[in-house]
Amino acid sequence: MRVGLVTESGYPYVSGDAGLWCERLVHGLGQHEFDLYALSRTRQQEDEGWRPLPPQVARVRTAPLWTSDEDRAGYGRRARRRFAECYGELAAALVTASNAQLADPARRTGRDTQADRFARALYGLAELARDEGGLPGALRSDTAVRALERACRAPGAQRAARQARVPDLLAVAAHLERALRPLSLDWHEEDGLGAADLCHTAAGGTTALPGLLARHFCDIPLLVTEHGVPLRSHYLASGTTGAAPAVRALLAAFHGALAAEVYQRAALVTHGNAHARRWQERCGADRARLRTVHPGMDAAPFTEVGEAPQTADPDTLVWVGRVEPAKDLVSLLHAFAQVHTALPHARLRIVGSATGPDGAAYLAHCKAVAAQLFPDEATGPHTAGENPVSFEETGGPEAPTPADAYAAGSVIVLSSVVEGFPLGLVEAMLCGRATVSTDVGAVVEVVGGTGLVVPPRNPRALAQACATLLADPERRARLGAAARARALELFTVEQNVAAFHGLYLEIVAQSPVRRVVLDRAGEPLPFAAPAEAHVAGHWTGAPAATPRAARGGPAWAATSLAGAAGAGTEAAR
Amino acid sequence: MTEPRGGRPRQEPVLDGARSVSTSASAAASAAAADCVAAKDTTAAGASTSVRASSGAAGSALAEASASAGGSSRAAVAAPRAGADPVKVLMRRHRDLCEHAVDPLEIAAGLEAHGVTDRTAARFRHRDVFSLAEEMYARIARDTETAPYPRPADEPRTGLVPFLLALLPGALCAAGLAGLRLTEGRTRLTVAAAAVLAVALAVRAVLRRGPLATGVRRPSGDRAPGARPPGTRAWTYWLVGYAALGDGLLDAAVGGGPDGLPDGTATGPWPLAAAPVLALALACAPAVLTAHLFAVRARRRLTASRGLDEFAASVRPLLLGLFALFLGALAALLAGCGAVLHEPAGQAQVLALGALLLLARLLTVHGFTHAPAVALGTAAAAEATAQASVFAGRLPGCDALAVPVDTVVTAWGPGGVPALACGAAALALLVHATRNLSRASAHARTEGQR
Repeated sequence: MRVGLVTESGYPYVSGDAGLWCERLVHGLGQHEFDLYALSRTRQQEDEGWRPLPPQVARVRTAPLWTSDEDRAGYGRRARRRFAECYGELAAALVTASNAQLADPARRTGRDTQADRFARALYGLAELARDEGGLPGALRSDTAVRALERACRAPGAQRAARQARVPDLLAVAAHLERALRPLSLDWHEEDGLGAADLCHTAAGGTTALPGLLARHFCDIPLLVTEHGVPLRSHYLASGTTGAAPAVRALLAAFHGALAAEVYQRAALVTHGNAHARRWQERCGADRARLRTVHPGMDAAPFTEVGEAPQTADPDTLVWVGRVEPAKDLVSLLHAFAQVHTALPHARLRIVGSATGPDGAAYLAHCKAVAAQLFPDEATGPHTAGENPVSFEETGGPEAPTPADAYAAGSVIVLSSVVEGFPLGLVEAMLCGRATVSTDVGAVVEVVGGTGLVVPPRNPRALAQACATLLADPERRARLGAAARARALELFTVEQNVAAFHGLYLEIVAQSPVRRVVLDRAGEPLPFAAPAEAHVAGHWTGAPAATPRAARGGPAWAATSLAGAAGAGTEAAR
Repeated sequence: MTEPRGGRPRQEPVLDGARSVSTSASAAASAAAADCVAAKDTTAAGASTSVRASSGAAGSALAEASASAGGSSRAAVAAPRAGADPVKVLMRRHRDLCEHAVDPLEIAAGLEAHGVTDRTAARFRHRDVFSLAEEMYARIARDTETAPYPRPADEPRTGLVPFLLALLPGALCAAGLAGLRLTEGRTRLTVAAAAVLAVALAVRAVLRRGPLATGVRRPSGDRAPGARPPGTRAWTYWLVGYAALGDGLLDAAVGGGPDGLPDGTATGPWPLAAAPVLALALACAPAVLTAHLFAVRARRRLTASRGLDEFAASVRPLLLGLFALFLGALAALLAGCGAVLHEPAGQAQVLALGALLLLARLLTVHGFTHAPAVALGTAAAAEATAQASVFAGRLPGCDALAVPVDTVVTAWGPGGVPALACGAAALALLVHATRNLSRASAHARTEGQR
């Protein structure tokens, strides 16, 4: 099967932050052929090059999102009118839309016309970009700003939009131009995503735009994987910019409408945890097409520790993570004070380093609190004082790897007040340790019944849970074994890759791409594209291109991927 | 105590213990049971995952696990603590978030970032964070009239350096002209070449930074090269060169000359007009000032105006006023230079050229590169054609070619040709600029440069 994998700021770039799971996916599914379509965020990222690529990657096309041509050469009269129509429709859809109605079935009918307008405008702009080019210039032009103004002043616009001033209009136009840059790419054409059997986008939002266009123009089924929810990230990011209410309202409407359109067109949408799922449902995703695919962790580094539960120090609690205020270490210290009163031999090791000035300040604060709660206690007049709480750096001499840190404790504690998907907790489970965690984020979903869960910001509950486990080795062992079994079953790389493989097969089975091949007379040629073409693997012969894995990106690709570079993209220059 | 919607058990704020759901069965069996619970969790969206106190009694864990997995109702101990209206307390705590939110989902996102979960929302008798956020959004007292408009970020401070730099071309040009007057022969040639090079570099520096610079400033600090149609720079050199030497050549050509190469004096067979060049070099300073004033004032009007038409109406007089100011400054400079250098200053053509160059640069700075290139190219080509037609008129049988230029020269002198060419181009650019520079989108890029 030929999979077009669209990534943003991730695989195959070396510095991609979300590249790891894509890399494991591509490496794990050798039976499929992958075309990588990568959007890069910064010039630096592009300069740093690519990771080594496995042979199943047939081609790589990249495009920068951080720049666009500065050309202001305008459209002709007819193209300008077409652009004004599409953009005006987009603006009208945005100023009247409200994200509150995204998932409300009672108001679905009114919402549908909005969504239709938005979709029509989006594909209209894409068609214009395909026919005429020069879309970025047009999106920044006066035509666009005027269309926005007209929409904001029109009756029926939401109140925030009506207050938009000229700088707000310019800000919205600039943001839309940046967000809609993928529309100008030619990836969705017959020789690009149009030739794939399936388009898999590694994120939602604007990253999914190439996939949407392939779905629209060539009817390629779309699989969207969202680890974060783009609309939610947009809200959190826009809250800090201090932009005017009109700008935030219009942009929120844009991202909401885009998310709804992606969810509606996608064959399947996957998420990593129930929290993301709730947001997706809230944004209008159909429940029947949502799938949970848990993130996969590499279990190998934790095998040794996980198979030897007896190495744990029976009196030690361990906290591992990045030190920041959201981790609520102060609660943990207060809880440990109570534990220490009940069990004087108990010790607490906090393994983690602080990042950023906030983290450093918080770490200092925690150390001060610890020093106040637990003054060094010397057993005799000539012995050195000992403190039951120790702070250690990640990768320090006492615990060079995370596995060593987990191995040192018999109970692993997580005291966060805010948490997404707690990867540290999964690591602790893989190590076969009993866990006590606060009920935040996806913790309950991860831990299931294999650990104790207490409310956040509640030192007393935390202390009781820890004390219970420290006092009961048998139960600790039972929970640890169950945790390891659960983690191995749900949160491994193999599980992740197998889940995506299953989804690929499901999508291709349900909505195969029907390609009509015409003969010379222009008549459809029956059986020219046989159904067996969708069988996994290369049944017709050797794969066409077997690129050699190498570092160095662009310079390399020019030689070994001849023909892979398409017009309009920056690949392989 | 009233049960929350959906008949779900109500969770009290403070729990005094922890719950264990583990069993004494083998690890695998336990994991399977855990899966069952997890599946329940995902489908019931956090409804059945509330944590019950069991006072650390491990023995009752199994029974509790089954109760939890079954999602059956449990005895819930009610302890209303936050008064009659807990949501109000929450709203007070997140007042900033509520007041700035543009829709309920934004409040939901903000609440989640502060650690509010569906379990917390249940405490406020809501099914999930979304419905809690909807209530909060609906209850915000919004008085739009008093909502202050967020002030735009401070205008970028243009340091003194660009303005001092703008004086450099004039100073260098004056020094070069003094050198030309004081030297003779080969030395004069060297001095002339050095002066031309120095002035060109100085002008380049002026155009690289400050209000006359093009290109978008990237966050990293370096400027991306703005789109520049090839030839703009060459046309500019040609036009300035013509201002210095063209009139003399045309005058000589019409009279049958020239009889020799320019020797750097105003009295030679091919006279050099130094005053226009000096005036143009000195005019860099008013040009920088004009561009700076235009950018700053336009930005101020941008933030102040409510509509695009209002903005356009307020920027047009600004542009025309600043343009007139520049022309006045250039005329004064020209008169001064003519007086100092004892040259008859050809006013019209230099004014036209100065206007053309300023408008071309303004348009380029604001992202319109096509029209300036065309205008500059047309003017330069017109001047070249005029010269060529005079020389072509000397060929046998081609007398008619020289007639138009002859007529112009007889009527207005040799300065009439560049005045007409540059004047027409400048006029076209002025019309173009009043249309395009009064659009808000032309100033969006300068907005983005912050």
